[in-house]
Amino acid sequence: MRKLLSGLLACALLLGALAGCQSGGASSSKSGGQLNLYTWEGMFPPEVLEGFESETGIKINYSNYDFGETMLTKLQTAGGGEYDLVIADDYIVESVIAADLAQKLDKSKLPNFGNINPVYQGQFFDPADEYTVPYGAGVQTIVYNPETVAKPITGYADLWDPDFKDKIGMIANYRVINGMALKVLGESYNTGDLDKIQAAGDKLTELAPNVRLIKDDNLQDDLISGEIDVAIMYTSQVTLAKLSKPELEMVFPVEGIGFGVMPAFIPSKAPNAEAAYRFLEYLLRPEIGAQCFEWLGYYSTNGAADEHIAEEFQDFLTLPADFGGDTEMIENIGADAQDLHAKIWTEFKTACGQ
Amino acid sequence: MKGRTGLRGRAAALALLPIYFTALVFVVGPLAYMLALSFLSRAETWGVELTFTVRNYLGILAPVYLQTFRQSLRLAFLCTTLIALIGYPFGYFMARLPQKWRRILSFFLVIPIWTSSLMRLYGWIIIFRAGGVLDSLLMKTGVVQQSLKLLYTYPAVVTGMVYVLLPFMIYSVYASAEKMDWNLVEAARDLGAGKMQAFFTITFRLTMPGLLSGVVLTFIPSMGLFFVADILGGNKVVLVGSVIQEQLMKAHNWPFAAAFSVVLMILTSLLIYLYRRITKVRDLEGLV
Repeated sequence: MRKLLSGLLACALLLGALAGCQSGGASSSKSGGQLNLYTWEGMFPPEVLEGFESETGIKINYSNYDFGETMLTKLQTAGGGEYDLVIADDYIVESVIAADLAQKLDKSKLPNFGNINPVYQGQFFDPADEYTVPYGAGVQTIVYNPETVAKPITGYADLWDPDFKDKIGMIANYRVINGMALKVLGESYNTGDLDKIQAAGDKLTELAPNVRLIKDDNLQDDLISGEIDVAIMYTSQVTLAKLSKPELEMVFPVEGIGFGVMPAFIPSKAPNAEAAYRFLEYLLRPEIGAQCFEWLGYYSTNGAADEHIAEEFQDFLTLPADFGGDTEMIENIGADAQDLHAKIWTEFKTACGQ
Repeated sequence: MKGRTGLRGRAAALALLPIYFTALVFVVGPLAYMLALSFLSRAETWGVELTFTVRNYLGILAPVYLQTFRQSLRLAFLCTTLIALIGYPFGYFMARLPQKWRRILSFFLVIPIWTSSLMRLYGWIIIFRAGGVLDSLLMKTGVVQQSLKLLYTYPAVVTGMVYVLLPFMIYSVYASAEKMDWNLVEAARDLGAGKMQAFFTITFRLTMPGLLSGVVLTFIPSMGLFFVADILGGNKVVLVGSVIQEQLMKAHNWPFAAAFSVVLMILTSLLIYLYRRITKVRDLEGLV
């Protein structure tokens, strides 16, 4: 038995070592005709990647990370080199730009730059749009099952209704969830006022009896299976939920709409920056963009792509024509505010378990 | 003669070098790094500043964070007790089986471990979920009328923990029960001890190291297996492990996360020390 186990262990170690060699070799290769793409898993439909490869002859080395924080650490270690194109969350890209790890874009190489929907431009992470091309956006909505929810929901404040006892599911993202309470109190997501954040925490604790579950992965499954009736979730999850259960109701909350963007940037010392430009330009084509957003399930950041998005996706991948109103992005905040957010979040989760 | 032993001693010391090196790089190094980190300050948004502070440790004293330690200990005690109650008899009777059956049984115990515990936990979700296996079974047999909301509850978390950690207890108890000299029990019986008396004076004491190492092997991981609580408890049972992960990955407060880890480590070391003092067992089966 012991021999068998140690044999298995040795195999596992060997496999791990081989995998390590392989990924190391691929990403450090510097020969021309390559693109080292670094982002989350499953960000592109395979036909888009293959289409680019066959059109340009550039080979894509796709490596992934789970957390933007991991990406930032790796990029810092590599001194802004090694990768040619990175896509991450807006707040982490702000840190990347602040750390001089991204290069300014040469717009002459991106003739389709004008296709970008201006709603998503000029934001905090890149106020002058010098470094980034947005690739998809998440927009905060409330999704509920009209079969089991009698009263229509219009905003966050409705969720505090005692009728929803043990019926709500939400993502484990405390800036979004604490932010929801801040919005109900009429505050900004990004307030640095500790008293206001604490007040939001107290407000949130009152919501605890209604919360059935908090989780990041596949929350849509719980809404589809009827484990929960109301959900605050990521846009990609909303898309999956709507696709498998079209009768689900989706609301832009009256208190104001929070959104996040996934910007793409070229690291400061990217070995194949030219290839990165060609890929960005390729993604900015309306038809390709539409293909990507349908696959990704995030809001289209490419205004010109909107009309190419299939009818069944229109509702939840493109913004309504009259979209405006109160929008706000979640930005990096100071250390004290951040710590207080983490603390009231832990208090809230503990209250949910009582 | 003297020179030769000296040489041999030196050669032995050289041969041990890789062990020292490994321990230094993979054990001492990270620990020292963590300890140092726990006394530093966080930067405004990202990273660490090199200024000494004890603020991280004071921060842990906030009621909400102390509560997570209480919660973790409570869950760990509950799970370890349940695991001992199930695992000890299991391991004991397994050791009493004929050789052939022992081998078959231990093989079946190992098979599930080949699959990632995460996958196996998703299996429990399928069982517990609304309209899931257990739910529809109970409804069909008429035991309950309405769907039980079993998933994302405390009992679901406990079930998952016990399930994941049980094999460790079974194997530890089995290992010490198997190598026990059963002649001693026979001798006790010959000298007039009843079955129970023989069990408690001989078998139980001799298998104590196995039970204790089982306790250590299940108690400590159950302090840290926060993903079980997250997956089956819907993130509502907040354990120290999930606070550490959240501080590290989401709040970007690495020093605070490090301080948490240091306190958790001290706490678990203390508990192991206490176990040994109370049970007076010197060697933990297969552990030390």
